[in-house]
Amino acid sequence: MRRYETTYILRPNLGESQITEIIDRTNDIIKNDGGTIIDLNRWGLKTLAYEIKKEKQGHYVYFDYTAHGSTVEEMERIFRIDDQILRFLTIKLADSIDQETIDNEIERIAASAAAEKLAKDTEEAGEEKAAEDTEKAGEEKPAEDTEKAGEDTDRNEE
Amino acid sequence: MAPRNRTFRPRVCRFCTDKELVIDYKDVKVLRNLVTERGKIVPRRIYGTCARHQRRVTEAIKRARQLALMSYSGSTQY
Repeated sequence: MRRYETTYILRPNLGESQITEIIDRTNDIIKNDGGTIIDLNRWGLKTLAYEIKKEKQGHYVYFDYTAHGSTVEEMERIFRIDDQILRFLTIKLADSIDQETIDNEIERIAASAAAEKLAKDTEEAGEEKAAEDTEKAGEEKPAEDTEKAGEDTDRNEE
Repeated sequence: MAPRNRTFRPRVCRFCTDKELVIDYKDVKVLRNLVTERGKIVPRRIYGTCARHQRRVTEAIKRARQLALMSYSGSTQY
């Protein structure tokens, strides 16, 4: 068993049900061959940096899993046939993975997801306080970014 | 021949100094600073990135390009 991560881009005109169907189908391929899904993340509709098959936007789906090499091959073969999938990229993360690490990883990801959700909920509940906090965070971050960007352009000019 | 007058550039790898800064093809925010306005990968002599990290940066940028997170040419706006 190896650990992989795959990101694929779906056509933007797909409905929610069609997207779920494609995701379920890919997950089933992995699971039926004895693999496990560690993490699945939808990045949503994003603008592509360049056009792919005449599309300017795409739904990004990212997932982290364990599987055999042959399973990945089979999944990619299906991706290539499917016209709804614009692009995919599979990266091998680890050569071998044991059950313990899988469980730990799943737990860790679930915990971080829960923490994020909690943060969101508290934000919604205590609007005033949370709004203040996010405002502060929002102010600090972009300022840093622009500073960095400024540095870079300076260096480019040199 | 007189040595050319060069401005001093910091010779420290920013990824070695800042351990929190992770090179990942999914994290375009970091990678965006390492390409020119035309989308070319900046050579390591400019920023002083160490060989190991520059290798990872190159790999990450190329992966990000495949996924249309960054462009092969031209600026990436987000």
